[in-house]
Amino acid sequence: MRYALLILLLLTPGLVRAQAEALENPGAVSAIQERRFRMHHELLLGVGVLPANAYYKGLVGTVGYTYHFSDTFGWQVGRGTYSYNLQTSLRRQLERDFNTSPNAAAFQDQVQWMVGSDLIWSPLYGKMAFLNESVLHIEAFLLGGGTVVKLDRDGGFKPAVNVGLGLRLFTGKTLSLRLDVTNNTVFTGPTRVIQVPLIQFGTAFNFGATE
Amino acid sequence: MTSRSLIAALTSAALLVSPAPAAAQSPAAAQPTSPAPAQGAPPAEGNAGAPDATAAAPDAASPAAEAPPPAPQKVDPGVFDKALKDYFDGKPRDAAGPLHAWLQAAPKTDENYAWGQYFLARSLIDLGLTHAGASYLARIARERSNPNALPRALDTLKALTDRPHDEVMIEEQVFGALDLGFLPEDTGAYAHYQQGLVDLRVGNERWANTHFAKLSETTAEASHAKFALLVTRLKQVKEPSDEIIADFLALSEDEKLTREARNEAALAVARLRYERKDFQGALEAYDRVKLPELDPGRASLYLEEAWTRYKLGELRASLGILTTLDAPSFRDEFMPDKYLLRALIYRDLCHYLPAKRAAKELTRRFADSLEAVRNREDLTQDVRLRRAANAHGSTQRAARFLETLELEGERLGRYAGSFGDRLFSHLTKLYDLSRAEAVRVHDARLAEAVRQEADTLLRAAEQVRLMEYEVGLKLYERVKKGARIVAPEDEQILSPTQTAYRFDGEYWNDELRSYRVRIDSRCIEETP
Repeated sequence: MRYALLILLLLTPGLVRAQAEALENPGAVSAIQERRFRMHHELLLGVGVLPANAYYKGLVGTVGYTYHFSDTFGWQVGRGTYSYNLQTSLRRQLERDFNTSPNAAAFQDQVQWMVGSDLIWSPLYGKMAFLNESVLHIEAFLLGGGTVVKLDRDGGFKPAVNVGLGLRLFTGKTLSLRLDVTNNTVFTGPTRVIQVPLIQFGTAFNFGATE
Repeated sequence: MTSRSLIAALTSAALLVSPAPAAAQSPAAAQPTSPAPAQGAPPAEGNAGAPDATAAAPDAASPAAEAPPPAPQKVDPGVFDKALKDYFDGKPRDAAGPLHAWLQAAPKTDENYAWGQYFLARSLIDLGLTHAGASYLARIARERSNPNALPRALDTLKALTDRPHDEVMIEEQVFGALDLGFLPEDTGAYAHYQQGLVDLRVGNERWANTHFAKLSETTAEASHAKFALLVTRLKQVKEPSDEIIADFLALSEDEKLTREARNEAALAVARLRYERKDFQGALEAYDRVKLPELDPGRASLYLEEAWTRYKLGELRASLGILTTLDAPSFRDEFMPDKYLLRALIYRDLCHYLPAKRAAKELTRRFADSLEAVRNREDLTQDVRLRRAANAHGSTQRAARFLETLELEGERLGRYAGSFGDRLFSHLTKLYDLSRAEAVRVHDARLAEAVRQEADTLLRAAEQVRLMEYEVGLKLYERVKKGARIVAPEDEQILSPTQTAYRFDGEYWNDELRSYRVRIDSRCIEETP
């Protein structure tokens, strides 16, 4: 009981101060604005890179379609990515100096293409002042879904789980720029997985959004 | 908002609104037909090249003005060609001195005399000495010695009316007094409009109409003339008719007008509807005011909208707009009503302490000005009242022109070396005289304007005192048994299409019209 009284006594100045503040400056102010940019049917054209594998680097092109149910939730119904692979100097050196076979298992993890689908959650929507001259609107989102990856080997169709995050910069009602950083965890065998990170920059065309 | 203030606001708006001048003609197209004056032309006597310092105050004449003018020197006629070449080579600084010297020496009848004045004016304008340039252009317009140079001079003058300028010299003495028969269509329309405006100012609506009737319906001047006529009619009627409001409404959608002019028309509609207690209609008219992106807008617009919303019972929205008026963009605005309105809203929501504080804020903030009024001091010396008076209407225009003259007078000093003694001393004298006259005009307007601002302040202070008294009574009112707090008003829930940004003291220009306050009423209901 004594402790309770002591705690109450200690809290009293804070409570009084809070009450005085509320009495002097009542109310909370917010700027309520119509959301300026809203997405509906989104067509994505992107280019990017698969940077992680030591034996090759993939230059990728992506086409995707996303349906946005609301301002915060959407479904990337389909996305298809083709990778143009460039051998690294390490691989060339291995083949040249150590006679490593081009068909070695380690080299067969090259991604040829992949298709998949994701759910998108966009909890962040905000604006930034650019040089105090203009206002830029941005959105950040998380995405997760499944992918079928075609690797450079016989029977190379492998399932994968895709997770990532992205940033969208709105440039107009129908156009936005999108940066995606995702990672596909590819199940290449019963006990083996490989990670395929992807960094992609894209232009998104938006159709059918209401004002 | 009283009827008087409404008419005053509309009048100043009408005077403010002037048609956008056409872009000045390219000087490159204005090459004189004759390359140079005849050889051996006799030098002109006296101050042939000197423009009049119109309506100059005699007491401001410098001692140098009393000395007899130096005898004009003989100038080689080739000087004109060389000066012209310098001008077209983009060296107005090199062109100005020789052009002035040539004008001093050439006879007024020389076929290039007007062109000399024109290019001297253009050189001075290019060097940032717009008033000096305008005085030479006005001289061409008054002399009318060269029908080719005249339209170009008028076009350039018209373009100068966009900036702070000598209204008497350009609008009254040039455009207000032009013979309109020979003018090209564009310039003629502007001159008709200005002459009609002069007639309206002196109360000759019939004469004004004869000028306005000559304006083609498709010109911007016709729309501006309509606006000016409507404002004049508004002054004459006690109760504005639906027709006047409809006419203003039509002007607010008239694409021929500038955005500023359309906004003025929309504001006029809003004010008239407010006076007729059509608050919803007023609000719709305020929504018609379109601001450029990230433009903070005008404080008076926000304050008027806040009053309208208050009258509609939208207390929280009104309080939100008052938050807007605390933004740094409006820190120096003179708005005693703001504190009064805030106090009224808090009182209506039964937040008596904040109401009392808001009311006291007015007397605290304007204590010096109120003291000056009570002590019958010279109000033009009070910083706040002076700033308020200088912020709008004809006083603002006079203040800006005076500021421009001071700036250009300082700028002139930079050209002392390159202009030569004669042009420099002539321009120094011109600026001194013009400045003295501008000070006189500004002081006269300021004296009247500060008196009006002081009236506004006193009225607000009076209401605030009543408010303080009323709130003081409410504060200590006994709560009767059975009284209960009024059920809180249903909060307007955010629609899915809206976003809310919590305000934490940082103002964003794009949010200035969007602030809303969430505040509960603390009023109690007394059961019988």
